[in-house]
Amino acid sequence: MLTINNLHVYYGGIHALKGVSLNVNKGEILTIIGSNGAGKSTLLNSISGFLKYKGEIIYKDQKLNFSPNKIVQMGICHVPEGRLVFANLTVEDNLLLGAYLRNDKKGIKEDLEKVYTLFPRLKERQKQLSGTLSGGEQQMLAMGRGLMSSPDIMLLDEPSLGLAPLLVQTVFDIITDIRKMGKTILLVEQNAFKALSIADRAYVLEQGKIIMEGSAKDIANNPSIKEAYLGVKK
Amino acid sequence: MTQFLQQLINGLSIGSVYALMAVGYSLVYSIMNFSNFAHGGVIMFGAYFGFFYLTLFRLPFPVALIGAALSTAILAIIIERTAYKPLRNRRAPFLYFIICAMGMSIFLENIIIALPFIGPTFRTYPEIFSKTPIKIGSLAVGRLDLLMFIISAICLGLLVYFIDFTKIGKAIQATSYNIKASALMGINTDFIIITVFALGGFFAGIAGVLFGMKYTVYPQIGVITNKSFIAAVFGGLGSLPGAVIGSVLLGIIETFTSGYISSQYRDLIAFVLLIAVLVIRPRGLMGKSNEDKA
Repeated sequence: MLTINNLHVYYGGIHALKGVSLNVNKGEILTIIGSNGAGKSTLLNSISGFLKYKGEIIYKDQKLNFSPNKIVQMGICHVPEGRLVFANLTVEDNLLLGAYLRNDKKGIKEDLEKVYTLFPRLKERQKQLSGTLSGGEQQMLAMGRGLMSSPDIMLLDEPSLGLAPLLVQTVFDIITDIRKMGKTILLVEQNAFKALSIADRAYVLEQGKIIMEGSAKDIANNPSIKEAYLGVKK
Repeated sequence: MTQFLQQLINGLSIGSVYALMAVGYSLVYSIMNFSNFAHGGVIMFGAYFGFFYLTLFRLPFPVALIGAALSTAILAIIIERTAYKPLRNRRAPFLYFIICAMGMSIFLENIIIALPFIGPTFRTYPEIFSKTPIKIGSLAVGRLDLLMFIISAICLGLLVYFIDFTKIGKAIQATSYNIKASALMGINTDFIIITVFALGGFFAGIAGVLFGMKYTVYPQIGVITNKSFIAAVFGGLGSLPGAVIGSVLLGIIETFTSGYISSQYRDLIAFVLLIAVLVIRPRGLMGKSNEDKA
């Protein structure tokens, strides 16, 4: 569904991605794990059109080379790191902005109900300014807002960052639920243990290079990965 | 008491026109985080457009007013495309934008002076509304003052409606909060920037015509707009309600100063107010604060 070939990204003199190639299959949860600064967010920002890159990104047989708003239109939704909810607007306004490019009033209303069923917390707070939500609620809002664009693939950047352990589990449960709705998921995480537990396949990104790929199970059982990312001593 | 009410009405009238100008500063600031000093030049062009539409083309007043507003909206878009977009493409630091805006302001003023058929002369609008005031009890309200207030109030009402109740308005609010997140919603942020300049330019044209009618038209009329900038800072740059409240308060403070102390102190008070706000409460009455929690 999404194929990336030999992607290079430079920030000034810094070579942030050094020839990354990967592919995402329809309907799967693919996770990219890696430490801070490995280039995970850079990868997602390249897909969603914020960065200039060398190499190619192909989505549904079409080469992506557009501005961010056109990429959303093609069915790619990026839920950014740090959630970036519009704190000056209400929860419902945030969700409706997620559907900014859509004109099917009926479909938008149905999707809004779906999001409220998935996140009952948001329904309770629909008229509240989203800046008053807790970190976990803001993460739910960011994911719900992403769903409102009715995407085919969701790029999730560190959804568990800064959340209490109990909420982390909730967020990962919700990601599984979203996949059941027929969405493809590209999940970028530092919490490798959790990410690998829900993913089908995984790539390991280190210093701008893919150093390993395989089924999530194999990666989770790989001794060097265990030691480096899962905190298990040999 | 009569004098008090009289001053209050004058203050509201002048303050509402300040508000029309101040929202232009605030809208641009809220999205792009810099003070667009070329706005004064756009207002000055508005005064000239209105003047020539009325005198040269002999258009009826409402047509001339809307025509001037549309012309300045286009002018504001041209300024954005030629002066600021190249800077945005290069991701220039915000200081470059301010310097560029000041340069643009000087350019606009001087192009009017340099044009042979306009030049630096002062021009007076034709008398469209009779100078005899309307009597309300013991109060005498100037027809033009009343008109300024009504037109400004209608414009501000429309703006509030547009920002709060339309899809593009919501997108403007979202973009002012976080430009990257709004692009992720599929919002064309470039189009939002154009919209914001067009809105600011439209109201600048109306304000220019009203000011031209109240005073005279001359190339430096944009200097008056410094006051509306002060009002925008006073109310909190980037906040629309702040810009309106700041402007009305500034208008009232000014007329009271002229009425009860001396008109010579009017500008002094305005600038003292600016400095006081910057020292005591730099974000103004209702300015952007750090609402972000995550």
